[in-house]
Amino acid sequence: MPTVEFKGKTFNVDEDGFIDDFNGWSREWVDYVKESEGISELTEEHWKVIDILQDYYKKNGIAPMVRILSKVTGFKLKYIYELFPSGPGKGACKMAGLPKPTGCV
Amino acid sequence: MPYDPSKPLQDRITDIGPKNYEEFLPPVIKKNFGKWDYHEILEPGVLVHVAEGGDKVFTVRVGGARLMSISHIREIMEIADKHCGGFLRFTTRNNIEFMVDDQSKVEPLKKDLLSRKQPGGGFKFPIGGTGAGITNIVHTQGWLHCHTPATDASGVVKAVMDDLFDEFTSMRMPAHVRISLACCLNMCGAVHCSDIAILGYHRKPPMIDAEVIDKVCEIPLAIAACPTAAIKPAKIKKPDGTEAQAVAVNNDRCMFCGNCYTMCPAMPLADAEGDGIVIMVGGKVSNRISAPKFSKVVVAFLPNNVPRWPETTDCIRKIVEVYAGDARKYERLGEWAERIGWEKFFEKTGLEFTHHLIDDFRDPAYYTWRQTSQFKFTG
Repeated sequence: MPTVEFKGKTFNVDEDGFIDDFNGWSREWVDYVKESEGISELTEEHWKVIDILQDYYKKNGIAPMVRILSKVTGFKLKYIYELFPSGPGKGACKMAGLPKPTGCV
Repeated sequence: MPYDPSKPLQDRITDIGPKNYEEFLPPVIKKNFGKWDYHEILEPGVLVHVAEGGDKVFTVRVGGARLMSISHIREIMEIADKHCGGFLRFTTRNNIEFMVDDQSKVEPLKKDLLSRKQPGGGFKFPIGGTGAGITNIVHTQGWLHCHTPATDASGVVKAVMDDLFDEFTSMRMPAHVRISLACCLNMCGAVHCSDIAILGYHRKPPMIDAEVIDKVCEIPLAIAACPTAAIKPAKIKKPDGTEAQAVAVNNDRCMFCGNCYTMCPAMPLADAEGDGIVIMVGGKVSNRISAPKFSKVVVAFLPNNVPRWPETTDCIRKIVEVYAGDARKYERLGEWAERIGWEKFFEKTGLEFTHHLIDDFRDPAYYTWRQTSQFKFTG
């Protein structure tokens, strides 16, 4: 599994660039990934989405459904795509350190 | 404006959808759109449609392997340029159709198509797939590209179509016979509603990768993926001695569907000896005479015998031959089996009836058992 070093931190990532362990997440990870996800500057709204994803994952063991993410953040799906151009799964979940989405994706 | 990775959203074009199909209609089709009077099948693989004004369009249908290189597509284009004014189409069963507007153009097109062979000797463009024959096999990805298959797709399809090639180029069946393949019971495609269906099947429960399951899986999803509730949350000891959140599989309740592996990469279940093929028959999607039907399991297991799957090709050949010899004109395989009774289907085809074929999935299983004294003695 390849490793990434950034600002003194080391992350193990898979071939799609998801980190291997939620517990290995740190704020540097978000800084590192943002460019490859087409985000130049992280705003409070980005962090709101990331925080909510992490809280939901810690509490429930799964990523929230898109409708739940929209309802809790107050961001419509269109706006979530404006924040995270790759979308809530590939973009926001990857930055939040959640496991890679599975199923017929 | 080349793509600039530092500004991914600059000059980004999106939500434009597919091209309008009208851009690609041959002139004779565009002119007579919605004005067709009748059609005939002139011979296997060749159709003529006659428009109200008398215009005709002749269609030559040829088999396609579905999985194609760009050089093969270029060859298809070269044929279309040479004979059809640069127009062609693909069918919903992944055959290729070349259309010409005059009967005199049909023979040269056919001659050209049949003259083209693969280096190994196979036809590049076999003509057929019309009427009451056996047309192309709708199939999936198999070992070529998917991560959940229990069998291969392209390989099995090639073996079966080689065996049934004469039925592709002729029309001697009572009605058309649709064969489909799916490499796992996700059933991508048409296996659940085909006259004959080939389905990849596992026979062993998943293994649990204790080292990574708590990291790569959303465990509640793996639990909810199970149709028989064989999976429950559990703590396990990891190889390094720490305890981790994971799942436990009740192997007695597992029927090897593989849904949990779809949701959770740490629960693989593919197995060289365990995996194989299930054969289903009797499905249809049309409403002609009888309502659409689901296909039913008639062979519980055939081995993955690469590269030619002889057990599978033999079994399908046997079913096709008995159906072709016994069914009435226009009768689809499922209609024939229901008319003669499934016990007679098993007697005539010589397939073994095993306990695997008796439905045991939830309340609806009951309705598949026989609540009547009407049956025929067999054997």
